[in-house]
Amino acid sequence: MPEDEKERASFLDTAKSILYGMAGHDMSRYAMKTRGSMEHLFILITMGDLLGIPILPPYYSLRILPYVVPQISTWKRRMLRERDLTDALA
Amino acid sequence: MSLRRTFEENPDRRYIMFGGKGGLGKTTFSAATAYWLATQGYKVLVFSVDPQASLSDIFQRDIFGKGAVEIMPNLYAQEIDADQRIKEYQNEIRAKILDMYGLEQVPEEIENYIQAAAAEPAMEESAIFDAVVDIVVSADYDYYIYDLVPLGHALYYLSMASVYDEWIDKITALRTEMEDYTKVAAVMQRKKESEEDAILRELQYIKERINKSSGILTDRQRTAFFFVVIPEEMAILDTKKAAGLFAKYDVPLCGYIVNRVIPESLGQQEIPEYLRHRLAMQKGHLATIDRELGKDVLGYIPEMERDITGLSMIEKMAHEMFGG
Repeated sequence: MPEDEKERASFLDTAKSILYGMAGHDMSRYAMKTRGSMEHLFILITMGDLLGIPILPPYYSLRILPYVVPQISTWKRRMLRERDLTDALA
Repeated sequence: MSLRRTFEENPDRRYIMFGGKGGLGKTTFSAATAYWLATQGYKVLVFSVDPQASLSDIFQRDIFGKGAVEIMPNLYAQEIDADQRIKEYQNEIRAKILDMYGLEQVPEEIENYIQAAAAEPAMEESAIFDAVVDIVVSADYDYYIYDLVPLGHALYYLSMASVYDEWIDKITALRTEMEDYTKVAAVMQRKKESEEDAILRELQYIKERINKSSGILTDRQRTAFFFVVIPEEMAILDTKKAAGLFAKYDVPLCGYIVNRVIPESLGQQEIPEYLRHRLAMQKGHLATIDRELGKDVLGYIPEMERDITGLSMIEKMAHEMFGG
């Protein structure tokens, strides 16, 4: 690639990144956050027993258990955490 | 219509179930029907979904937890060992966790959950439910005969299929929505395709199995459900109630078989007062059965002179049910 084209590409890349930072980043952060909440909701309805809330059939929820092992401790922390007013602002 | 004609005229009905109150003869009828079909040249599997199964007793062979055991040519019987199945299943889950995360030991919290889940009352039924799916999807036999659990349990078993179904639908929907968010984030961050959701795949697998099982239970073309009743007041009342409930779950009811009918010819003999009373009482109940279930009754089976265990008594029973 000739020198000036390379420069143009890197300029475009930087511009894209700036644009992403200005507009896209917040949106993607929001999407990831929503997904995170849903992940926790998902674990709640499949693994509710872990908190002492038996939700539904334990037999098939065991099949899903291996996939959610890494999320379990953050999920428990979030579910059992005390909440206060500032939560509403977050 | 006789029981034999019901079978001959509906050759597509390959899943046969007998339901009724406990102790009325479901296992006996299951075994005798399996015997008769086997002698007609069909390959038959009779299996029990009851944790307190009694096929071992009736065939006088210990078949518990041994898979499908050949009783005679074409006739196989199976009793599911739910405990064993749960243990194997737990180990499978543990192995998967160790393998996925390269661990030496399952984390304590997770291990506790695995153990607690196995102690749930619903676990045994669920394990049997799952084992039945394995059995019926194998398609190794011409006929599958379900030796069902007593009524209450059978209803639970049936409702479990629909509860599972709804549960799975809801969480699959949630999971799919989660996928959408992952994709949106990936696109905005200009990442390549997000990796496939293994959980979603797992859920679809579970859903497929449940649909298969509940699909069979409610399939009018391939399934026949018979109620066993005896000429006694409580049994008749309960059976009528249960038939209503089963109909709600779309179970294809095909008729009633009246078991334990004391032969009326005894009345002409010299018999004690006690037996005469029983005969008179039975006559009243038979009239009720005829009035209320009449056209759907497929056979009246006499009370046998001794316990029905062993192949020769099963043969005799099959003869009473299906004729020569």
